[in-house]
Amino acid sequence: MNKISKEELDVISEVVSEQESRRNFFKKTATYSMGALAAASVVAPVMLSANEHIKANAEDDPNIMEEKPWATKWGAGVDEGLYGMPSPYEHNVTRRITPILASGNTRASIAVTPIQDLSGIIVPNGLFFNRNHGGTPTINPNEHRLMIHGLVEKPIVLTMEQLKRYPSVSRIHFLECPANGGPEWRGPQFNSIQFAKGFMSCAEWTGVYLKDIIKDLGLKPEAQWMLAEGNDSSHMGRTIPVDKVLDDVMIVWGQNGEALRPEQGYPIRIVVPGWEANLCVKWLARLEFSAEPYYAKEETSKYTALKHTGKAIQHFYVNEVNSVITSPCPEKPWTDLKKGDMVEIEGLAWSGFGTITTVDVSFDGGKNWTEASLKGLVIEKAWTRFSIMHEYTGKPMLLSSRAADDAGHIQPSVKNERAAVGIEGVYHRNGIHTWEIDAKGVVTNVQILS
Amino acid sequence: MYKSYHKKIVASTLLASVVFLGTACNASNDEKKSTIETKSTAQAQSAVATNTPMNTEGFTKREIDAVGPANALVSETVKKTYEHNGKMVIDGGVTYPIVNGKTGAYYVNETAHKTPFHNGKPATANEQKAWDIDVMPDGTGLPEGSGSVEEGDEVYEEKCASCHGDFGAGSGLYPKLTAGNAYEAQKTLMHQRINPDDDGPQRVFGSNWPYASTLWWYIKTGMPHQAPMSLTNDEVYALTAYILYINEIKIDGVLVDDEYVLDRAKFLKIVMPNVDGFEPKINGPKGADNAREYYNNPLNYGNGVRCMKDCFEGEPKVSRIIRPIADFTPALTAEKTMPAATAAAVPGQATYEASCAVCHATDSMGAPAVGDKAAWAAVLEKGIDKVYHNANNGINGMPPKGGAMDLTDAQMKEVVDYMVNASK
Repeated sequence: MNKISKEELDVISEVVSEQESRRNFFKKTATYSMGALAAASVVAPVMLSANEHIKANAEDDPNIMEEKPWATKWGAGVDEGLYGMPSPYEHNVTRRITPILASGNTRASIAVTPIQDLSGIIVPNGLFFNRNHGGTPTINPNEHRLMIHGLVEKPIVLTMEQLKRYPSVSRIHFLECPANGGPEWRGPQFNSIQFAKGFMSCAEWTGVYLKDIIKDLGLKPEAQWMLAEGNDSSHMGRTIPVDKVLDDVMIVWGQNGEALRPEQGYPIRIVVPGWEANLCVKWLARLEFSAEPYYAKEETSKYTALKHTGKAIQHFYVNEVNSVITSPCPEKPWTDLKKGDMVEIEGLAWSGFGTITTVDVSFDGGKNWTEASLKGLVIEKAWTRFSIMHEYTGKPMLLSSRAADDAGHIQPSVKNERAAVGIEGVYHRNGIHTWEIDAKGVVTNVQILS
Repeated sequence: MYKSYHKKIVASTLLASVVFLGTACNASNDEKKSTIETKSTAQAQSAVATNTPMNTEGFTKREIDAVGPANALVSETVKKTYEHNGKMVIDGGVTYPIVNGKTGAYYVNETAHKTPFHNGKPATANEQKAWDIDVMPDGTGLPEGSGSVEEGDEVYEEKCASCHGDFGAGSGLYPKLTAGNAYEAQKTLMHQRINPDDDGPQRVFGSNWPYASTLWWYIKTGMPHQAPMSLTNDEVYALTAYILYINEIKIDGVLVDDEYVLDRAKFLKIVMPNVDGFEPKINGPKGADNAREYYNNPLNYGNGVRCMKDCFEGEPKVSRIIRPIADFTPALTAEKTMPAATAAAVPGQATYEASCAVCHATDSMGAPAVGDKAAWAAVLEKGIDKVYHNANNGINGMPPKGGAMDLTDAQMKEVVDYMVNASK
């Protein structure tokens, strides 16, 4: 740091003493004028203002013509809310729950993200969807350990400090519950984008590549699988193939620049980019390598997709290419639009296979399609925004989106997806999503079976 | 006593069988299903045999030709293979090798990732033993021990029935542990609920899970839900025996009846009815390669085609919401308002919500529901002191302190008072 010269120090001291004398002056003044201030409050709303000489007409917006209390009174000091919170007016922008998504109680349930209220591709940490299997633990990071063992030459235990000494990487990836949209295999049920598509979020994750640690340990050639296990009360484990581990799997402690929230796995979780968020085990404590798969409790009737053949897809890794229009949606209708208004149709596309290449939008239920613009950052295994302009006609329409990715996958129609897997899959539903918009601009969740 | 249980289960199985016989399975596949090896997929998958059966029903030739790695935008910076072994990706996606110091959009400090670190300390044998809690299908991790169906029934009644219901029938949204005879219930996995009232596939332990090792592991490390890791190995064997019993599983040809005693050797002979019910096949040295082959053929799980004009005949067929779900907390609204002031916390309320509401929020588990005046009037007939006593010592299906053994007597009194006052 630069040294402060004697001269500069004297100047600073003068400023400080001047401030102190002023503060004393204000203290005295404040005491004398308390009564005056109270009187001023009583006589509100008549206030002295720069506009006092302007007489408001009927067409003038009173929000402009009248002074607001926040413009005429002190706001909060910087010492209030040292960890900041959203405006209280935003309290309806929140995760939400519904009993049907719980396995009995709120410890094994999901709270979903209000994607209708979000912009860009980053979800604030307090709104990131939360799926638990045994409740959110409060883990002391000083007592938390990560063990890596099994088919490695050198099994190790890391403290959190030791883990964070590996070279860090930051990556933007979506995490999606593979049951996102799952309650709607047999038809639409939620007239809400938050519940129809909000089992997902996207964040910038900071941690280490697991392969950077593995290279120190001597992975044995017969190792095909890795168990990732948390030490919350559910002790949830999942099997991950070594091929993915050595590609881009991360152990993360950071989420959007700060520590993981407790409900996201504090102090550490695993992130398996593009794959089922259920594989991204929270409160991560143990990694074990083996020659055979583990068959954990979430690799049974849960997290397998039953096809109409009676066979279920197991180890269904990728959250496939998908998209949804976020504006309009049931929560953000077009009821305020007039015929002839120009309006931006906006949405989210994502693919666990790779990077979004195109998104098409249909105004007639998927019969004809127009390519939309991608906008903002287009990054692999991350939310991608798309947009298309529209002149509002006031006529009913069926509005759909269809995404494609660089791995050669195209979002299937509901009909195509049903042909491949039936209607009992529960997980991995990525069929084209459609909103029906009526003549009043009200938006409803529908599916197109053509 | 067990005979009567058994009758009940048999009855439910019969019912399930009738329903099964009366339900038409989806006839759109089976015989007509054919194995199609398309030109495009065959070209790109030269390293991968394309002998996975695909369901092509409902796909046009154009759609079938459109799928697969042939359409991947492979380049110097986007690959269908892994850097570390050159093999095709396992998931049907692409990889982004580091080229000119970048992977995808991200710059990389390549030197950092090549540096050895050797952080941490060696994991001792004891540490590994203490944490290695998984149990694998071949018996790895399964300790010696034994337990009978009869013992399992007792533990079940005490520690499990309050959530999973009588005989594993489930309660509220807590999972069912049986759908009757597992071999019969397994056949329902073909069911598709095409009409709203159709019977669906029964996805419970007996009918669906491939391996019993998962059940043992789950019970040992995850149950009871509010007090995991609290059961002895013998208790876990006993509960496993009981759950096999209510699913009417046979081990080595012998039905697990009400006198069955399970041990490690017998456990390892269990073959679940649906062991072959999953794809891709991931066991053995070719397991990962089988997954590779399966996921590089998107027809196994659905794919679209980028049609732009006149993509179907006639008007779109629209499916609308029939049974809406709108029980959302908090209710959906886009309003920008100040939140209503929150009421001051009532003593006992936090404890109630943390430890008691699981059972007492509704009467679905037989516990008197908070707010149910009649139920609580009945509870109070013998005086408040008796209620405090029962809360501390357990009553009917409720274990002592409802299983929340960390609560002090003072906290228990406070929470009882809260529940009583909330039910007046």
